[in-house]
Amino acid sequence: MPSRNLTSVSKSAAHELRTGCLFILPLVVFIVLFVLLPVLGTFINSMFQDVSFVGKRFYFFKNYEHLWSDPGFFKALKFTLLFILVSVPFELVLGLLFAMLLDQHIPFRGLLRGCVLIPWAIPAAISARTWELIYNYSYGLANYICLTLGLSTQPVNWLGTSVGAFSAVVVADVWKTAPFVAIIFLAGLQAIPRELYEQGRIDRANSWHMFFRITLPILRPVVIVALLFRTIDGLRVFDLIYVLTHGGPGGSTASVSHYAYMHFVSGDFGYGSAISVVLFVIAFVFSIVYVKVGRFSTEVL
Amino acid sequence: MRRSWLKTLLIFTGVAFMLAFCLVPFLYMVVVSFSTTPEFLTPGVPFKFTFDNFDAVLVGQSLHFMDYLRNSVLLSLISAFCCVFIGSLAAYAVTRLPVPGKMYLLFLVLAVSMFPQIGLVGYLFKFMAALGWINTYQGLLLPYIAWILPLSLWILVSYFSQIPIELDQAGLVDGCSRWQILYKIIFPVAVPGIFSTFLLAFILAFNEFMYALMLTTDYRTRTIPVGITMFQGLHGQTPWGNIMAASVITVLPAVLLAIIFQRYIIGGLTRGAVKG
Repeated sequence: MPSRNLTSVSKSAAHELRTGCLFILPLVVFIVLFVLLPVLGTFINSMFQDVSFVGKRFYFFKNYEHLWSDPGFFKALKFTLLFILVSVPFELVLGLLFAMLLDQHIPFRGLLRGCVLIPWAIPAAISARTWELIYNYSYGLANYICLTLGLSTQPVNWLGTSVGAFSAVVVADVWKTAPFVAIIFLAGLQAIPRELYEQGRIDRANSWHMFFRITLPILRPVVIVALLFRTIDGLRVFDLIYVLTHGGPGGSTASVSHYAYMHFVSGDFGYGSAISVVLFVIAFVFSIVYVKVGRFSTEVL
Repeated sequence: MRRSWLKTLLIFTGVAFMLAFCLVPFLYMVVVSFSTTPEFLTPGVPFKFTFDNFDAVLVGQSLHFMDYLRNSVLLSLISAFCCVFIGSLAAYAVTRLPVPGKMYLLFLVLAVSMFPQIGLVGYLFKFMAALGWINTYQGLLLPYIAWILPLSLWILVSYFSQIPIELDQAGLVDGCSRWQILYKIIFPVAVPGIFSTFLLAFILAFNEFMYALMLTTDYRTRTIPVGITMFQGLHGQTPWGNIMAASVITVLPAVLLAIIFQRYIIGGLTRGAVKG
């Protein structure tokens, strides 16, 4: 009896291994063919002069050399980093505020949570078109509000000036992504044991103290996760720019993705690929940080 | 007593601000879609109610809105279905079966989900062009599925790992194969997880922009997010009424989904993000 069991176990172990690999195979095939291979292809392409209707020629690092002295690229990089630097803090603060509100015992809590999800659930391209209308110089909602509330005495040229366009993009992005941050924070808040607050109340700590001594320290790993998520997502910002400002005025809101895309569209695949690779490397550095931090956050949660 | 009153007021103000912040652009979209002109906010221009915008979008042929809508819904449904199916298989193997290097796989998949799309789309364009698959459903579907699989896998793994392994053992004793265990035992138990994965995958596919922009050329496969950026009037003027009507029709299902199934969406999002 035991010997029969043993052989069936070892036989089934090999069988289980085969089944396991078989179950994973479709996922691996998809990711290799349509993610890893394209990334490799882009990298190889970035070493070539690859312009439509011009022959393909091995270029080695010439594209990158060109990149290094391309003011357009640095302008796009500067915009992208500045965009992250300004929008991500707003997103985190608003997200935390929303999460704390949604965590309260208030009527219609489910409905409220659903409403907060709306900006996130709407395709960015569609909300960007709505923002385009909101920022319209002569009849948009933004100028109507500014003029009615007396925030400004004359209409603001939102999309026609570089400062206006930058603020417009930041506001639209904060609107779309603060809800996402709120949802992540909400999960973090709900994981905090209520007894900690009870204890705090017994110790006569006020709400302010409890927020800084209990809520924020426990939330720290979640904040870091949200921070990195938003940073990496901000690095690759494209839809919003493409629809709302087309990178303008005068290329002042062209993100790195948008700049690379413009080269793809004009047929310069080699140079577009080189720009993409640089963005890729920057995102990859952040990803490593994320994986490192993410591992410790699973322990904490 | 006074403190709690103050707290209620603060929360009420906060909630009012939050609702205004999240809903005003959406409500503005709805109002403009029913207006004869988008200029009703300027002094002297009255708001006049009309259905013409919806009529132009739903019945008119020139905008191709119905084509875009059909493409978007079909592509998103198929992508979400494939992601749930392929993701479940892999999630089952990762949580239940002896697969070598499964931690590496999970981290690889996590890293993949951080890739900027622009780093893939140039090559994908050439790849699909070589196959003659530009402007075809399969040319969009395959990249979509690969793009959405990482998140699907993470959510499903997090759900599947909570299902007691005793269920599998009971199935094995009854002589079920692993595949039978997956669809006869795990699927029914994991319905909430599978449903939230499906919803998230659907929303991600529906909202996708860059692939649809590069890999489609006309209304036969173009999706709504890209289509709506190309709405143009006859005389070069932006047809705001039509755009907003199309937006309302597109966004309404998403809004309803978000409100009705907020629990599942939030569950999926937090599992995909925080647990990662």
